[in-house]
Amino acid sequence: MDFGKNLFNGIIPENPIFKLMLGLCPTLAVTTAAMNGLGMGLATTVVLIGSNVVIALIKDKIPDKIRIPAFIVIIASFVTIVGMLLKAYLPDLDKALGIFIPLIVVNCVILARAESFASKNDVLNSLADGIGMGLGFTLSLTILGSIRELFGAGSIFGISVFGGGFEPAIMMILPPGAFLTLGLLLGLLNKVSASK
Amino acid sequence: MREIGRLSLVLFIISGIAALLLGATNYVTKDVIAEQIRLENEQARMEVLRDAEEFTQMDQAEVSAAAQALGFDNVEVIEEVYQGISAGETVGYTFKSVPRGYGGEITVLTGISIDGTVTGMRVVSHTETPGLGAKATEEGFMAQFEDQSAASPLEVIKSGTPGQNEVSAITGATITTQAVAQGVNYSIEMFNELNK
Repeated sequence: MDFGKNLFNGIIPENPIFKLMLGLCPTLAVTTAAMNGLGMGLATTVVLIGSNVVIALIKDKIPDKIRIPAFIVIIASFVTIVGMLLKAYLPDLDKALGIFIPLIVVNCVILARAESFASKNDVLNSLADGIGMGLGFTLSLTILGSIRELFGAGSIFGISVFGGGFEPAIMMILPPGAFLTLGLLLGLLNKVSASK
Repeated sequence: MREIGRLSLVLFIISGIAALLLGATNYVTKDVIAEQIRLENEQARMEVLRDAEEFTQMDQAEVSAAAQALGFDNVEVIEEVYQGISAGETVGYTFKSVPRGYGGEITVLTGISIDGTVTGMRVVSHTETPGLGAKATEEGFMAQFEDQSAASPLEVIKSGTPGQNEVSAITGATITTQAVAQGVNYSIEMFNELNK
């Protein structure tokens, strides 16, 4: 019933980066290029869907007082298992995404959705929330990565945009570029939504 | 008191199940992962020393003794040395070194032919920052090390065109570049020691 609404919720109205401001540490660190943003986003999406579903399934068994440590154990185990399986059976995918796996364990988007959504809703809606939040996260990271790559390296997804004469602003792919891009984007988005 | 006991028990059960699952996954995947790494290393050895038909591993005690004689800070920095053999003759060596980069150890494989030329370098594994230090795995960066002379150590330059025995640093990842070059330089020293 609310499947579509919960799915869409994470993409725009409650976008984890631009609206909820969750998971900013890995966001700032990995969005040096569009491809990295996309990779981190997709890896996070898989874990988010998995952890949301597992937590929605067992939420009634977990006493309220110890829910946070229980969630952390579940999420960390889930990520570690996914990491090991990737390494063993999908080495090519592991080469592309493996570097992001340890970053996901400490990503607070996942804990936040477990706490504020999956622990209060049924499996199907938690699945929708996981997909939506994951896609919203992926979208934001890819946008940030594209902007930084465009100005910092003159390309998007590794494809040169400005041609050879362009002198890239290296600062954009270094940490200050992350703060500048995110700050300006948030300002712009707030301006747009305020004028509506 | 009774509640604490109950909460501890629930948390204990959750952690126990997580530990069991992790252990089982590790048990199933560890051999597969080891095999993947072995294949990857074998592949990398062939790439850095193309003239060799087969490889035989050298005694690690001998390598450590040589590292001690050379006065390396870390005598274990060269983890493996393989002799490349073609038609019964030694055509060169491959060295697996683990210099410390920005995000941890970087595994650098260096091939040096018997006449004292670096025949190739591969960054086999690393945990450097995506988009910055992770660029050390790009073909263009690794190719800089090929055909360098093993007569003297390589130097990292931050700007300008690299000349003889010089490599250009990755923008924003000087520490990573220096670590990789250090790994190659340890290999060069070890080569000159073993090939005396």
